[in-house]
Amino acid sequence: MRLFKRLPAPLLLGLAILALMAAFAIAPGAFTPYDPLGFDFSALLAAPSLAHPFGTDQFGRDLLARSISATAIDLQIALFATIFPGLLGTLIGLLVGWYGGVVDALFGRLVDLVVTFPFLVLVIAIVAVLGPGLVNMYIAVTIVGWVFYARLMRSEVMVQKNGEYIAACKVLGYSTPRILFRHILPNAIRPVLVYAVTDMALAILLGSSLGYLGLGAQPPEAEWGVLIADGKNFFTTAPWIALFPGTVIVIAGLGFSLTGDGLADLLEVKR
Amino acid sequence: MSRGAWLISRLLQIVPTFLLIGLAVFVLARLLPGNAVMAMLGDRGTDEAVERMSHALGLDQSIFVQLVGFLEGVMSGRLGDSLAFRIPVTRLIGERLPVTMMLTGMATLFALLAAVPLAFVAALNANRWPDLVIRGIFQVGLSSPIFYVGLVLLTVFAAWLRWFPVGGYGDTLWERVYHLFLPAMTLGLSFAAIVMRNLRASILGVIHAEYVDFARAKGLRARVILTRHVMRNALIATVTLVGLQIGSLLGGAVITETVFAVPGVGRLMVDSIFARDYPVIQALTLVLAVFVSLAFLVTDIVQMWLDPRVGR
Amino acid sequence: MQHKTMLTRRTMLAATAGLASFATLTKSGAADAATRGGKLIYARYADSLLLDPVFTDANVDIWVSSSIYETLLFPTDDGKDVKPGLATAWALSDGGKTLTLTLRQGVMFSNGAVMRASDVKFSLDRARNPKNGAWPDMVGSIDSIEAVEPATVVLKLKHPDPTLLPALAMFNTGILPEGPYMAAPGEKDEDKAKAFAEHPIGTGPFMMTAWQRGQKMTFVRNPHYWGKAADGQPLPLLDEIEFQIIPEDATRLLKLKAGEVDGTEFVPYSRVKEMQADANLRMELWPSTRVTYVILMCKDKLKAGADNPLSNKKVRQALNYAANKEAIIAITTLGLGKPLQSFMSSATPLNIMGGPVYPYNLAKAKALMAEAGFAGGFEASVMMVAGNQDSTNNLTALQQMWAQIGVKLKIEQLDNPTNVARYRAEDFQMRHGGWTDDIADPSEITSYFAHYPSVHSLHSGWENKKVSALYLASQEEVDQTKRRAQYKELQEIYIDEAPILFLYETPYPVVWRKAVTGFVQIPLGNNLFERTIK
Repeated sequence: MRLFKRLPAPLLLGLAILALMAAFAIAPGAFTPYDPLGFDFSALLAAPSLAHPFGTDQFGRDLLARSISATAIDLQIALFATIFPGLLGTLIGLLVGWYGGVVDALFGRLVDLVVTFPFLVLVIAIVAVLGPGLVNMYIAVTIVGWVFYARLMRSEVMVQKNGEYIAACKVLGYSTPRILFRHILPNAIRPVLVYAVTDMALAILLGSSLGYLGLGAQPPEAEWGVLIADGKNFFTTAPWIALFPGTVIVIAGLGFSLTGDGLADLLEVKR
Repeated sequence: MSRGAWLISRLLQIVPTFLLIGLAVFVLARLLPGNAVMAMLGDRGTDEAVERMSHALGLDQSIFVQLVGFLEGVMSGRLGDSLAFRIPVTRLIGERLPVTMMLTGMATLFALLAAVPLAFVAALNANRWPDLVIRGIFQVGLSSPIFYVGLVLLTVFAAWLRWFPVGGYGDTLWERVYHLFLPAMTLGLSFAAIVMRNLRASILGVIHAEYVDFARAKGLRARVILTRHVMRNALIATVTLVGLQIGSLLGGAVITETVFAVPGVGRLMVDSIFARDYPVIQALTLVLAVFVSLAFLVTDIVQMWLDPRVGR
Repeated sequence: MQHKTMLTRRTMLAATAGLASFATLTKSGAADAATRGGKLIYARYADSLLLDPVFTDANVDIWVSSSIYETLLFPTDDGKDVKPGLATAWALSDGGKTLTLTLRQGVMFSNGAVMRASDVKFSLDRARNPKNGAWPDMVGSIDSIEAVEPATVVLKLKHPDPTLLPALAMFNTGILPEGPYMAAPGEKDEDKAKAFAEHPIGTGPFMMTAWQRGQKMTFVRNPHYWGKAADGQPLPLLDEIEFQIIPEDATRLLKLKAGEVDGTEFVPYSRVKEMQADANLRMELWPSTRVTYVILMCKDKLKAGADNPLSNKKVRQALNYAANKEAIIAITTLGLGKPLQSFMSSATPLNIMGGPVYPYNLAKAKALMAEAGFAGGFEASVMMVAGNQDSTNNLTALQQMWAQIGVKLKIEQLDNPTNVARYRAEDFQMRHGGWTDDIADPSEITSYFAHYPSVHSLHSGWENKKVSALYLASQEEVDQTKRRAQYKELQEIYIDEAPILFLYETPYPVVWRKAVTGFVQIPLGNNLFERTIK
């Protein structure tokens, strides 16, 4: 209990939202009796009611059920679209920061290359090359997104490698991999972790943007961005189709960014 | 290193970056499945028709010949004709680039107008209710997808309240500002959130820094401290952020321009990718790269001017 | 001679019918002087690309270019026949191998120059040059053209060609002035076309004066236009049309509702009822040649080498029976579509019109699946253009419906060029597709859908020798009764073989502010603005 008291309120709120989302993802059936893919021709475009709290879409599919079943996909996007670039970027950042010199100069060019190009456009182009779908989206995000992790990791490693304890490690004759992974990594990883949590919020936004453009999750799978895209043509007559999934995205994003902020405070990571 | 030398080396670094970008985009564009002829002819193309058009557009030449042509063109400032619109790429981009620059400019302005004062209010009331309310609102802004915010603003302020036009772009400056108001609000929202958060943190950092304590000890009045120390440092942080965020702002412009029917380069880029309009994709990439690099450079210069330590 | 009489009479009938339906659309038969003039703003989903009749390839060009370039004959408003255009009379002779056209008197180009027979010869020669653009085959039967000034053009044909008259009403045979075109800079014809199309000159009711690509295009009235309104005053009635490009459906409609534009095309079917209910707007649903279908791969093996159950005719029939078209029409088009009666639309001439094909029958579908040895079903994939709401709706519905016969459908969304590239490579199992005719004749759609040598029957690999033979014979059959019989047999075979999933045909949905009247969109898609008033 004392631990909870010490945690900042935003962090608690963020964690609570994420816990709820996780529950939606693990056991969607526990929250709604409806099949997210089930058509109901007797309730096409039904407004929100007790029977359908979020209303139904043009197929009579229950939107609460669809929003909840989309949670699993969007959380998957949040995780995979950060873990892959995060792992790759951390590894590269670690090596670049440690070796410096030519490697670092080359890395600098690569970073310039990626950051001078709008992130979303690059991801769209890569997805167009590989074909739409979640797996290809992860590949595209990894190809582009690792840079940001690597940059963060690199600067952290540059600071750490001049620390006294590293000099000590060298004197003790530790192997380079041992120094890198047992000593530098644990000390340099905190900003990366914090960034990753915030990045998950961005990943959800990216995933839903691609879904909105038809390049992300494929039908009939429910994904929040796809749900909004489905509803945009009904926005003036049946606003609930887009409105509720949109609100869910905002809440989910809030969960991640509050958690990220809270973690940053807690771990005293300066951003 | 003197400031002049630093600037020159900074400029020289940009050149290889452009070459790399040009090459990367040339290759990436040709990795895209299908080509402009398929995009244009769609289902109606017979083999003969596809062949005739490919020849007319020069798409039947080998990749190498195309690359040489592209590089020669870039060196001599000719960027070719759009495959879809059949007019010079420079004219196409020339019509569209000012729109996007104005959109991102207005979005930046809106973001700063909202974020800077509120960041001060939040920081000076840290962890009391004004701080929590401001942070809460911006947190929501940061978590909202652009297409969703755009859809809501469009419906409420343009369709229902009729305060703003639904979309498009005007002919006079005032009309343009009026048309781009909602799109710039949409685009600026998440940017404002980022600026607010960073600025608040940086102000808090400065307030608690030792030299401010020292200044206070010297008996300087709070207002002087705020303007002399806090403002300057906060400004540096903000300028850096604006520079770094230009890229993501342009990415956001793609979606904003689509939702609001704003004829800018963001939409042109995505349209060109979907139309396999290689010359436009290539030229636009280079133009955007120049735009972003210039933004970086300006950021560096302003930083240098504000903070004597940079560039030394 | 007999032939000529028949044609003219039919033409007259069609023209009268067209006028009658037109009169019900306008406020009154004769537009009063007060409603003349003004600027109309029309929102389009995509911009034009190249305003040249020969080198164009896209509907975005074709549908507006008839306001600039006119053809010798015009499609009738019902799209099934031709009527006088820049030619007022025509006669076939020499067993159908010579066509003599009489040109309309007093036709001027928008630069004020008089249209001469030599301009017509020049334009048709350019259209049939096999090196030019995508359409020379449409007038491939022409052997030579003779211009007899001032007002006669004689076409000598390689063989009698029933599609020639409709072809002379198709956009690619639009007439442009030889002098200014040849004076345009550029060596190759393609370069000249590009330069000329920057400031096109034609005989049509409007001229393009300004164009910011992807943003807007301005047409102003051609002061030299020959057409006259019912009151004898010159057409067109509008002074100016501004086409604004707004790709997002939702945004286009919001702009219309806010009064920022006067009209817009491609209203999503889901929004039609709402527009109909709006007192400030008038929703128009124009009969069209637009058909929607799913191509079924008929080859034994898929590109990747896997066995393809769809190569079995019974499976294709089962898929057709298991698809509840009425339900799909209700979901996607909100009841605005009609089930297909053939592969071609009911607005296409010579449609068999035998009633909807493959009415929903789940029991029959299951039986056919069992007969074909697929009682347990199979997995299949279908590709569509990413982000298209209608395709998503149709395929999502099919996914559910086909699950009843054990077919597990995987939907692949691809961006347009990828989709077309895989289509052309015949690397798909099913593909969502749509089609509109360009010519008031069934030959174009039939060559693509059914005549294997053209494009392998929509790249499905379906080949039927009998159908190909019937098609080729019909291309030279000038006796309408015999040609109709050939088309009937051809369509019957096609329907039974089912190389496509027959879905629906839909009208063109166009919506206007209440004050705007007199717009016509013909089934081929052409937008006619000359009698539009605001």
